[in-house]
Amino acid sequence: MLSLGIESTAHTFSCAVIEKKGKQGTILSDIRKIYRPPEGEGIHPREASRHHAENSPEVLSECLKKANVKINDLDIVCYAAGPGLGPCLRIGAVVARSLASYYDIPIYPVNHALGHIELGKMLTGAKDPLVLLVSGGHTMILAFLSKKWRVFGETLDITLGQLLDQIGRYAGFASPCGPKMEELASKSKEYLPLPYVVKGNDVSFSGLLSATKRIIPKGIESTCFSLQETAFSMIGEATERALSFTGKTELLVVGGVAANKRLSDILSSICKRHNCKFFVAPKEYAGDCGSQISWVGLLESSKKMGTNLEDTFVKQSWRLDNIEVLY
Amino acid sequence: MKLLKKGAEADIYTASWNGQNSILKIRKKKDYRIHSLDIRIRTLRTIRESKMISEVKSFGIPTPLVYFVDEKKCEMYLQFIHGKLIRDLPATQIIRTCKEIGRIVGILHKNGVMHGDLTTSNFILTQKGLVILDFGLSQKTDKIDDYAIDLRLFKEVLNSAHAQIVDDAWALFILGYQKILGKNITEKIINQVLVIEKRGRYANVV
Repeated sequence: MLSLGIESTAHTFSCAVIEKKGKQGTILSDIRKIYRPPEGEGIHPREASRHHAENSPEVLSECLKKANVKINDLDIVCYAAGPGLGPCLRIGAVVARSLASYYDIPIYPVNHALGHIELGKMLTGAKDPLVLLVSGGHTMILAFLSKKWRVFGETLDITLGQLLDQIGRYAGFASPCGPKMEELASKSKEYLPLPYVVKGNDVSFSGLLSATKRIIPKGIESTCFSLQETAFSMIGEATERALSFTGKTELLVVGGVAANKRLSDILSSICKRHNCKFFVAPKEYAGDCGSQISWVGLLESSKKMGTNLEDTFVKQSWRLDNIEVLY
Repeated sequence: MKLLKKGAEADIYTASWNGQNSILKIRKKKDYRIHSLDIRIRTLRTIRESKMISEVKSFGIPTPLVYFVDEKKCEMYLQFIHGKLIRDLPATQIIRTCKEIGRIVGILHKNGVMHGDLTTSNFILTQKGLVILDFGLSQKTDKIDDYAIDLRLFKEVLNSAHAQIVDDAWALFILGYQKILGKNITEKIINQVLVIEKRGRYANVV
């Protein structure tokens, strides 16, 4: 079965084709174009959606060409219907609807967060993991229980990705700022005290954000180092608590911040302590991409029919724990 | 000394203290945390827990006795409590204990203490009733928001680990809670729980 997945929730516009044989999926192509805001600024939803609209034909045709697939060969079309930025979501939805109606292909709206998790599971082989989803849009600790992904811990305010991006932008870097900050952090060993807020299994980053802004004048390298150490330790502790509470024997880390080496070092040391297998989504597929969407669509298509065109939707706020998983 | 449980925050051993059956709780060094941060967190929590666990007794809250605290080593000897963790009870029994849990949490809040880690694994059911544990994240506070955070965490735990019984359990919890704090304050705090949930990512709480 061949599936086209379209991702356009935030700064990435991506198309990907996956072929599914039995339970096994093969990514035939995954093409991305990323909107880059000017240095020191964040995503402007209108500009990002303009970027997506302008680049969508090229990304789509390159994706089909690389996969060596014609549109007529596709069995299903899937798009990320939320959560994300409204103007951006609509671009992906319009592309998907156009293909679905013109070529008469079944269409599947997919939850973006579910995409991160399911592709992560497929690529790493994790069976029943505790999942840590860390990106610009999410910071959640989840486990699967009676048909739903249940939230065992999450951020009470901003996400880990937002925290890093906001400090980065404040210091004048181009977003996404994670990689740049990781590089700067690796040059320092000087820890400046910052607030550490863990509330049960949950974390809160807003106070840490304000406090970090105040220490930037003491040196950007030690600021990045101290920020990473504090924020990642908080995530580490919340994860460890959830791991100990649920008794899961696997941990899977997905989302853009999963690419951070220091974070995965911390988490793998926690897993060692709890005799737990540790999986990280491969760097290439940690960030937003069409493969995530394509794969969830394939899983869903095994249990349900495509959505009627008039019922296809985009939802800016669409929590993962509201979705019943059938497959 | 026998390892009873490797917890997230501390390791729990059975040990003896002056001939008494006791629990040794050690907040071990975490290699993944930077040293100065690690020592700050472990010391603070050990001291805070030992103080609070004794103090709340005066409100009539059943907690283990503290026998000895070594804040340098971040360890403490506590009374051994015989019983079962609420988390591991059968569903119907969990529902039944929720009212009492609500009552205990109500008494804590009434006296200006937030627990900070209200999960079903921090309560033990003994023959004489419920005992509440683990005050490492507790705090003295008079903020509605802090009390609401306690309630939200408990709701989150019910919602995730005990999804099948969440509605009944939550209703009973509130009933017990309200008995202590009264209808007005309880409603205020529940409203604040909704506010916190709305702050959450992509929430569509009505």
